[in-house]
Amino acid sequence: MEKQYKAIGEEAWKNNAEKINAELFIFTYGSLVVQLVKDYENYSAVNKQLDKMGYNIGVRMVDDMMARTSLERCTGFSATAEVIAKVGFKLFLNVIPTVANWSADAKEFSLILDDNPLNDFCELPPKAVADGLRYSNVLCGVIRGALEMMQMQTEVEYVRDVLCGDDVSEIRVKLLRMLDEEVPASDD
Amino acid sequence: MVVVYTIYIFDRHCECIFYTEWNRGRSPLSAERSAAAATVGGRSDGSKEPANTAHAVDGTGTHLSGDSQRPLVWPTTANSTANRVSLESPRNIAMEEEAKLVYGVAFSTRNIINKLNSKDGPQGGNPGGFMSFATNTYRLHYYESPTGVKFILTTDIAAVSMQPVLEMIYRNIYVEYVVKNPLFNVDPHTSSPIENDYFRAVLNNYIREISSTTTVA
Repeated sequence: MEKQYKAIGEEAWKNNAEKINAELFIFTYGSLVVQLVKDYENYSAVNKQLDKMGYNIGVRMVDDMMARTSLERCTGFSATAEVIAKVGFKLFLNVIPTVANWSADAKEFSLILDDNPLNDFCELPPKAVADGLRYSNVLCGVIRGALEMMQMQTEVEYVRDVLCGDDVSEIRVKLLRMLDEEVPASDD
Repeated sequence: MVVVYTIYIFDRHCECIFYTEWNRGRSPLSAERSAAAATVGGRSDGSKEPANTAHAVDGTGTHLSGDSQRPLVWPTTANSTANRVSLESPRNIAMEEEAKLVYGVAFSTRNIINKLNSKDGPQGGNPGGFMSFATNTYRLHYYESPTGVKFILTTDIAAVSMQPVLEMIYRNIYVEYVVKNPLFNVDPHTSSPIENDYFRAVLNNYIREISSTTTVA
């Protein structure tokens, strides 16, 4: 099963993804964050804004991913984790994070990013590190938005970040609840 | 050779965000168009006009020259550039009712199929694999994207499987022209109709293409 997702991700990345220059992408993202820092003058507000932007990206991106692959809805949360790592991250960022640190009730897991392309060429000023800027917080929003479209309400946050001096980057994904499908409003 | 009658697209909030028709004799939409045309043209028997002649006389009278190939769409708003019915008729109650009924039928059919397969759950989806049903005049095809967008297509009864067509519409037309359109609905918690002319044009061309070729994928 795990192999299969990996193959799907590879396949989609090879055949169905338009590629753009990575450096252009990285620098665009970097200047976006810089602009946000200038505008908000407060790192936690920037984190929040990045998450919100990511959310709006994620709710659309999931459709894009589904259109490029022939995936069905996942049968369980562990399959979801595999798909995010092996198909989602592969398709859009060409990296495959490791899924690890499952909680006992299987509702929380971590994505360990050995290599985060967004971080390339990036160095945070000490003040930003001290105030807890999550440079790649947009990724959290993307995951949250995408999962919400798949009827999963989640909480996603950065727990460790290489840019803040940790040895790896870790994104924690927590399933809060499954959302019910909406039913039509009754006429009477 | 497939004869396509209508397409309905419903979003996650059970709202009809897009409807269009081809080769359909009389519908709430064409009736409204005829009525609007009649009012503007000063004729009183407009409601009896068949849909295709009503096309030529647009309510606003400003465009549509050379545009008669374009099918009727719904919902439309006043700021849309195409297929304006008339400036002061943003709602079409009969059409709203019809869309609701179509949704109800498809939704309930899918649910009972899921249930009979013991695959029903509160998250919805189409694990039971509802594909189509037929009456003796038309066939209704159903496709649901993993994100819960529902595509409903009605055709003549000879078209057995339109799943590849609906999938193609989702993957290459809906995602390309609606999801990736930055102007479309930034808030996923509300519904908004598809107002994108590119989407309409591409969809229209695609349907014409499959209507005129003899093989259905």
